[in-house]
Amino acid sequence: MAPRLSKRGRLVVALIATVAILAPLAWLWQSSLVAKSYSVMEMGYLDYGGGPAGGHDHEAGARSVADITVNTTRKADLRVDLVAAQQNLIIGGKSVPGYTLNGTSPGPTITAREGQLVEVHLRNASVKAGVTLHWHGYDVPAAMDGVAGVTQDEVPIGGEFTYRFVANQIGTYWYHSHQVSNPQVIGGLFGTLVVLPKAGRGDPVDVVAAAHSYAGMKTINGEVGDLKVPAKPGQQVRVRVINTDNGPIETWADTPFRVLAIDGFPVNGPTEVTDRSVTVTAGGRADLGVTVPSDGKAVRVQISKGTAVVIGAGDPVAPPQPAAALDLLSYGRPTALPFDPATANRHFDYSIGHRPGFVRGAPGLWWSINGHLYPHVPMYVVREGDVVIMHIDNHSGELHPMHLHGHHAVVLARNGVAATGSPWWMDSVNVLEGETYDIAFVANNPGIWLDHCHHLKHAAQGMVAHLMYEGIDTPYRIGGAADNRPD
Amino acid sequence: MKTTYRVLALIIAAVVAIQAAAIGYAVFAQLHWIENGGTLDKATLESSAPGTSALFFHALEGYAVFLVALALLIVSFFAKIPHGVRWAVIVLVCAFVQIALGALSRMLAPIGAVHGAVALVLFGVAVTAAMRVHKPAAVEEPTPAQVA
Repeated sequence: MAPRLSKRGRLVVALIATVAILAPLAWLWQSSLVAKSYSVMEMGYLDYGGGPAGGHDHEAGARSVADITVNTTRKADLRVDLVAAQQNLIIGGKSVPGYTLNGTSPGPTITAREGQLVEVHLRNASVKAGVTLHWHGYDVPAAMDGVAGVTQDEVPIGGEFTYRFVANQIGTYWYHSHQVSNPQVIGGLFGTLVVLPKAGRGDPVDVVAAAHSYAGMKTINGEVGDLKVPAKPGQQVRVRVINTDNGPIETWADTPFRVLAIDGFPVNGPTEVTDRSVTVTAGGRADLGVTVPSDGKAVRVQISKGTAVVIGAGDPVAPPQPAAALDLLSYGRPTALPFDPATANRHFDYSIGHRPGFVRGAPGLWWSINGHLYPHVPMYVVREGDVVIMHIDNHSGELHPMHLHGHHAVVLARNGVAATGSPWWMDSVNVLEGETYDIAFVANNPGIWLDHCHHLKHAAQGMVAHLMYEGIDTPYRIGGAADNRPD
Repeated sequence: MKTTYRVLALIIAAVVAIQAAAIGYAVFAQLHWIENGGTLDKATLESSAPGTSALFFHALEGYAVFLVALALLIVSFFAKIPHGVRWAVIVLVCAFVQIALGALSRMLAPIGAVHGAVALVLFGVAVTAAMRVHKPAAVEEPTPAQVA
């Protein structure tokens, strides 16, 4: 029989056991804390992806992200004034707390022509936490990316900021706040951006359909129910579906349709789709092309089960949702890429997990990137001109719509299966649990760019990494006097 | 310390009951939403549709159970309750397994059924731990009286 411990001995053992439990927890807790004010340049660890190292810190001579703008002497071709406000919205007859731009949610659709210099003047009338505008999917100069604490300070009440960029990408995009973006975007602080080719609209009927859920109520362009669009028999119609929610939506039609563009970029050789839906990931866009039948019947483009765009006269019944989604990996016709992914000189991993730990001092099950929790996440370092391949894998138990700022990447493979269709250019990709994606892009837009989950609650929980260019620094800080909170 | 042990164990049982209530409410709130014409997909699930905050609360509170179970274990070192440490370890292991099952259910739905059943086990072991406080202390060896 083991000898019994004395009272003092028992106390010593109890204390040792307590320390053995609490000490590692205290260490983990302490290391998860972030300063009240910090630069994204100081967080995490540098990942060079097998490329050359160096030239990446607060070194003297570094170029400020604030200086990466368009030609300041060039006059704007298109000027837009936007006033942000915090106010209740009337959605489906109910009053819900939210945000507006120029008095509405969504804010106005900005329609530009290819090549125009767009100038958007933002003023914050009443958004208490401050506001910025991020041009989702638009590869703007770094100073115009609208990320509070990274590319600018948040715009406080009464404050102003002017965004200037050249509309050199045609297609469907959107803009939204990137200051406290989780509640602000859900609350409606966003709008849409359409850039038409120089030649003008290619389709006689062009419909913007921004899907958003306000307090769970599905809407198109802020309205509950169907969006009715007049059209004549035989007319070609482009429906620009924009998913501004935190989760993916499905879209399909009661007539054959073509997927004309994904995330703004045209699909090469799109074929007719009849028995598939199209998954539009959170933050993503899909342009669908339909033709109004010659017999005059209306066409119904369903945007998830709750809403639809009804084109033409009549009110057709909702078609059943197809059992499967279109696989963009094999859709359309292949064509040459403007760069050769085989020449990639940076190979990054973006491995998404879910594990217990502390983030900003709070215990919980948190999203991890390459096994690390925020802020100890990788900073992917590139040099201008690099060809980059990123391998994304998701073993976190939940889907993640991954969004890279400032660049468009092409999908090379999913789950190891190579792409065989049209080049699938994207800025937002729906990575399901268990999936892997290999994407490639050219580092051609110097700056500091977020690479994060566009389920904005996940981003607020720390699922945010950065792509950083050598020799670029930022004067802005997360937190601090400006209270920059990008997520 | 004995009272603290008992209170912590009962808090764990109470939190498990609240967890069950939250998930029950979430399921029925969403059923009502759908039956009244609402759409429930990932997009609306993440946009404050009825019941979603209860789902979020359910996930968040799971971690709280683990932290309270950890506190129970530490208190058990000092509380001198018969088999108090043993039951605190059982509660902690149960809480860990329960959280792991919850996380794994996201990948494989049938695990969710086990997750639901283990909640009852966790409730049971937490109540059992609390009841240990009333058990008579182990018979101590008689201490010889000091003779002056």
